[in-house]
Amino acid sequence: MMAEKTAQAAKDIDETIAWARINADVLRSMENPRKGYWVALAVCFAIFMVGVAAEVYQYDVGMGPSNLNNPHMWDLYISTFIFWIGMSHSGTLLSAILHIFHVDWRKPIYRFAEAMTTFSLLTALLFPVIHLGRVWNMHWVFPYLSDRGIWPNFRSPLVWDAFAIATYLTGSVLFLYTGMIPDLAICRDNATGWRKKLYTFLSVGWWGDDRQWRNFRKTYMIMACFLIPLAVSVHSIVAADFAMAIMPGWHVTSFPVYFVSGALYSGCAGIITLFVLLRYFFKFEQYMTIPILEKLCKLTFAIAMVWTYLNLIEFAAVWYGHDVPAKEVLIAKFTGPYSPFFISMLLIGMVLPFSLAFQKVRRNPPLLLAISLLLNTGMWMERYMILAPTLSLSFHPYTWGVMWPSFVEIGIVFGSFGLFGLFFFAFVKVFPSVSMYEVKEMVYHRRRVVFDEAEEKLHPATAPATASASSEDGT
Amino acid sequence: MKQTMGHSIAWNVISRIPSEDLKDRASGAHNEWREMSKKKFDRREFLKAMGVSGVAVTVAGCDMPSFIASQEGVEEVVSYLSPEEFVIPGVGVWYASVCMQCPAGCGVRGRIREGRLLKLEGNPESSLNAGKLCQMGQAGLQNHYDPDRVTTPLARKGGKLAEVTWEQALTMIEEKTGAGSSIPKNRFAWFTGTVSGHQGVLMKSHLEAMGSTAHFVHETINNQVWRTVSKDMLGLETPRLRFDKAKLVLSFGADFLGTWMSPIHFSGQYARFRSTPDRGMLIQAEPSMTLTGANADMWLAVRPETEGAMALGIANILIKKEKVDASALPESVLDAIDGYDVTTTSRITGIAGDRLIRIVRHLKDLSPSLIVAGASACGHVNGYQSAAAAMLLNFLLGNIGKTIEPGENFSFPQLRPAEGGTRDLARFAKAAGEQQFDAVFFYGANPLFAAPAHMNMAEKLDAIPFKAAFSQFMDETTARADLVLPVASPMEDWGTHVPAYQGDRNAIVFQQPLMEPLYPGVRGLGDLLLGLVKMRNPGPLDDFEDYYAYLQNAFAAIPGALKGEGGDEDAPFDKNLWNRVLQNGHLEVPGAKRSFDTKVFAPDVAGHRENADYPYYLAPTPRAGFYDGRHANLSWLQEAPDQITKIVWNSWAEINPSTAAKLGVEQGDIVKITAAGGSIEATAYLHKGVHPDVVVVPMGQGHEEYGRYATGIGVNPLKILDPLSDGKTGEMALYGTRVKLARTGRSKKLVKAGDAETQHGRKIVATITADHLRRTEGES
Amino acid sequence: MSLVRNFIENWSRYAKSIDEGGFHEYKHMWGMVVDLDKCTGCNACSVACYAENNIAVVGEDYFAHGQAMHWMRVERYWDEPDIGGKRITETQEHGASFIPMMCQQCNAAPCEPVCPVSAAYHTPDGLNGQVYNRCIGSRYCEVNCPYRMRYFNFYSYYETSWPSPLNMQLNPDITVRDKGVMEKCTFCIHRIKAAKDKANKENRKLADGDFQTACQQTCPTSAIVFGDLLDHDSEVHQLWHKYQTKLGTPRQEKENPELRGYRIYEHINTEPCVTYLERVREV
Repeated sequence: MMAEKTAQAAKDIDETIAWARINADVLRSMENPRKGYWVALAVCFAIFMVGVAAEVYQYDVGMGPSNLNNPHMWDLYISTFIFWIGMSHSGTLLSAILHIFHVDWRKPIYRFAEAMTTFSLLTALLFPVIHLGRVWNMHWVFPYLSDRGIWPNFRSPLVWDAFAIATYLTGSVLFLYTGMIPDLAICRDNATGWRKKLYTFLSVGWWGDDRQWRNFRKTYMIMACFLIPLAVSVHSIVAADFAMAIMPGWHVTSFPVYFVSGALYSGCAGIITLFVLLRYFFKFEQYMTIPILEKLCKLTFAIAMVWTYLNLIEFAAVWYGHDVPAKEVLIAKFTGPYSPFFISMLLIGMVLPFSLAFQKVRRNPPLLLAISLLLNTGMWMERYMILAPTLSLSFHPYTWGVMWPSFVEIGIVFGSFGLFGLFFFAFVKVFPSVSMYEVKEMVYHRRRVVFDEAEEKLHPATAPATASASSEDGT
Repeated sequence: MKQTMGHSIAWNVISRIPSEDLKDRASGAHNEWREMSKKKFDRREFLKAMGVSGVAVTVAGCDMPSFIASQEGVEEVVSYLSPEEFVIPGVGVWYASVCMQCPAGCGVRGRIREGRLLKLEGNPESSLNAGKLCQMGQAGLQNHYDPDRVTTPLARKGGKLAEVTWEQALTMIEEKTGAGSSIPKNRFAWFTGTVSGHQGVLMKSHLEAMGSTAHFVHETINNQVWRTVSKDMLGLETPRLRFDKAKLVLSFGADFLGTWMSPIHFSGQYARFRSTPDRGMLIQAEPSMTLTGANADMWLAVRPETEGAMALGIANILIKKEKVDASALPESVLDAIDGYDVTTTSRITGIAGDRLIRIVRHLKDLSPSLIVAGASACGHVNGYQSAAAAMLLNFLLGNIGKTIEPGENFSFPQLRPAEGGTRDLARFAKAAGEQQFDAVFFYGANPLFAAPAHMNMAEKLDAIPFKAAFSQFMDETTARADLVLPVASPMEDWGTHVPAYQGDRNAIVFQQPLMEPLYPGVRGLGDLLLGLVKMRNPGPLDDFEDYYAYLQNAFAAIPGALKGEGGDEDAPFDKNLWNRVLQNGHLEVPGAKRSFDTKVFAPDVAGHRENADYPYYLAPTPRAGFYDGRHANLSWLQEAPDQITKIVWNSWAEINPSTAAKLGVEQGDIVKITAAGGSIEATAYLHKGVHPDVVVVPMGQGHEEYGRYATGIGVNPLKILDPLSDGKTGEMALYGTRVKLARTGRSKKLVKAGDAETQHGRKIVATITADHLRRTEGES
Repeated sequence: MSLVRNFIENWSRYAKSIDEGGFHEYKHMWGMVVDLDKCTGCNACSVACYAENNIAVVGEDYFAHGQAMHWMRVERYWDEPDIGGKRITETQEHGASFIPMMCQQCNAAPCEPVCPVSAAYHTPDGLNGQVYNRCIGSRYCEVNCPYRMRYFNFYSYYETSWPSPLNMQLNPDITVRDKGVMEKCTFCIHRIKAAKDKANKENRKLADGDFQTACQQTCPTSAIVFGDLLDHDSEVHQLWHKYQTKLGTPRQEKENPELRGYRIYEHINTEPCVTYLERVREV
């Protein structure tokens, strides 16, 4: 009995599950929202409105109410921007990177991860705009044809940001959509009313013959390959905003890598959060299984270690380099007014992940939910700690100064979470948050694996290609 | 009405720059129209014919200049299409006048464009400030454009000030003080700030006409004590000080770079004093750091009230150790000095003996030197004696005649400023308390703000039956007056001024309107005074249409010798000369060389008074900026960080860290400063530029009534001063007040510029030693 | 069509300016020398700057938030308590240290390359120009300025700072900046402009002393010297020469290393155009 259970649990997915069942479950998750859903939606909307109100006020009177001041020209806005960009990396990681490595346990969970990518990108996009003193002129950073022959300054990392993010957003939206086409077709076949119209339009006449599948696979793979460098570049460029500046504590070569790793880190944590929630609310236990969650935790742990390493590298570089201001900033991070944030950031970011080394933890969804949320708080603080100490303490002592964000600033940051929530809730009810066709693939695939094992015993022969996959998923 | 007209026209005709000077300012186009539209014309006839006065007034009403252009000899009438050079769009022209922000009397030039005054700069012609200006001078603009100016006459009706017309206002004055009024002799008084030149003359004649002699001249920031000492020991009140000639300056609290005598003039000298090859050394001994102290090579926190002892101690060491020849000094003096050997002096003053000896060495090596004493040394009951002791050093070191020069005689004694200090404030309080006056006129002074609580100035003012304030702003005193007459700002007014401390060359500084009055309702001081005299004593001055005419007439009376080339004796009024003088902004009046009449006596410097209940001294230091509080309503100066603490928009208490530690006070804590006469609260700022026995609360803030920028900000330390005064001169002992400190437990974020107090090892302000400098640049 | 041509032309010009690292054929190079030994920290320069450049007075609350706008700020530093083995005394033994800090008009300005819209750019006179109209308020320039000498309009100050009739004092040669715009010391560029026009009109070269900056003009001790570094007759050039401070190098190789001239943070290679002369004190 016990053994049976573990064996059951050890499997990524129950291969006996019927395909019709898969369709049914996923489609069910998209229909008749319960009261809880509407409440959640309302809450998100309220939070979002807080942010909107704050922004409207700030737009009206100027940047003053945000408490930004002479040393602190950037603050929460930019750090939250980095945070959301970071969140957006998870989806690409799961769907694109793991896809080209043929890691098939990603299949049940990559869809909502991708959605997360897109929506956190959209949210992130707001912040560079909001933090502008003259929002109404934001389009000037784009090189549109101007009869006055005025162009943006292509040397400025902020302009690179504009390009990188725009490209990345387009890319990830397309990727999300392309990956959904077969599922949309399924939805189309089962839907009525406006949904029918919508899916019919979106599923661009997919009926799943070989030619379509072949093209689909090619496109999907190409897009995956195209998306990975984008994801890396986007955060490297965000890092360049700081690395290109001469400010102590920012002027660090390892920043791009550091940022990317941090992004993946917070991204994975974000996935874990949503994983647990969806699994619970949409009863996806059969698809989002504990073993997959475990693998996700292992992945997070690995990335966390990379991030930790880079963090330490940065400290060492500053400590052994003879840049006095940079050293001052580092010391201030540990001892200064911001030290509570910084130290708790270190604890959460470096120590907490070790809890994922324990299987008990990895198999305990509620605990993981808490941990993942903590991790993301930590990562958000990390971004804040990259900005605030350096700004408060740079070259010129006369203009040093600690600054704490005002309610306007906090309100806007708060509101951004509401916006993300809105997007995501809307998504899960309109689009399948679990990829039906890929889960079917997975199930089918697993059956084959079992079969192969049986055959192996009869006539030992060269291992089939799929053996690699089975060995890779660590079961 | 009449006066306004007088202004606008007179100004257009007279206050101009010569056309060649104009050409390089005005655009080419401008010169073309000038060529095209030349038309000989008699202006006065024209005015009569056209009644331009009306036009002028209305124009003045909407602050646009009227448009009658003229040139020396040639006069022309032009339409607004080709306007006067100061209203040509885009062309700025400069007119000379005088800065009235403090009594120093620096010359300024104002930039006028499109009829608006835009910027003030020092007048390079002026031998006093040589084209330079301090922050107060720069802020003279805001004094002129202040949004809270009094714009119409106000009279007290039923306890409240209500608007009245000039006619009504003048009738009120007529009733109270006019020829027909029943006011007895000597029951009338003027209470003013420093007044000089022809306004002073008119004020005197008004007093004579009133049959009174009571003219109280009040300046909280003054140097009466030092000047009395100079008078007694040198025979001259204002000998010429030559900081630039000195190789060493030892200053007992004289803030000659900030508020002492003529700061900008001395700053110019300081620059030469500091410049290579033989760079001067500045030693400042004072209980609390002033701007000058902040620039000192050696700064000594001397215990308050012991500056005199320190001076005598230095004299003692000079004679005993350094064997300086003291044969010139009388026995009595030597006896007085005898008592102060190194140990005694350092015990009394709290200054380490080795430092005293070092100072003496420097004094011996670096000759000539200059020893001066200022506010913090003179502001005690023994202030006169301390200053005298300082002056004694000048004798001992033979500086008299080297760095202290007699200077020239000023040829027009009647134009010399009527001067005073805080003594007059006390005298006035006494007299007012004894109900000596039926009518008092106030101008340029704010006794209610400056008077300590123990004087009960408010009640005493209320007791005066009729108080008229000739005032530009609604300050505390003005708010209590029965009649408020809005005077023109210094930028709108005519006048002549004579600085108390003259520059390298004696001069009369000329003040001319730099633009039309902002408000039609204001009138110039001169015009008002003229009116008053006429009112009280019709006849002698009746044929002067306005003050401007009076001035020209007075100008014509100047002996031709002064007028330089083109000035002849009998010409009644030489317009070319007049224009030239107005262009320069001043008329130089060389006088006979003066000579010293020296008299050395033994100063009796008492030590500092122990006081168990009130262990600390309160130092209400003046700071360049708010000055004595008259500039607290200028937002630029409110926002300009205090030089020492960098605090803005508030009052603060400077406390020595060791004292603070004793009291358990930290930076930003609100401390309660209690004197016998009351208590104030201020936020603590800790720095080492304060003697541990001293708490500094700079004066100037704490206005109850002074426009939107000053009202209700900070505290006024003058309020809690003890009733002490210098034994000899009767000047109030501003620095003598004893207080006790207590923490209130509350604290407040100091609003200051600059976070870090030190450079944290950066090379921002790099400093090298003087030897180093001599090595590198000495020979240059 | 014209759009496209325009695009191409400007692109090539832009590319050129990249390859050559911005302008190089300077007609003038405005520079300054501040003699810290003469500077008394009296603040006159700062107020003169307010008067000349329409700088907003922000008031106590905003000042407390660090949103003040003094383009020319006089900084005051106390001695380091414990550096160089100075003995700790109860009271100050020397005065304080003052330094007037204005935009250093760097030649390798960190603020310029980071501006997304080229609002901060290098003028042909070697100044760090700031185009208010172009500025979108990303504030990157200030974030990257080691001197922190740029000031941001956090609010619209027009009503609050110049209640009528104070607004009549506003200098018509200068704009009044609105909210969301970065601003900074311009070396009184409007005065430079006026002087140039005048010189052109009289078709002669711009001579030293044709104009002064507001701060230089008012400085009671004449501690500030301003002029054209390329004009060999100018006082400022001679001073730079005398103290052997040179542009175009992060490190000054002086024949006599003891000479007083130095530029703040020149080791980070910002190439500021303001040379400070070391303060001299007897010890």
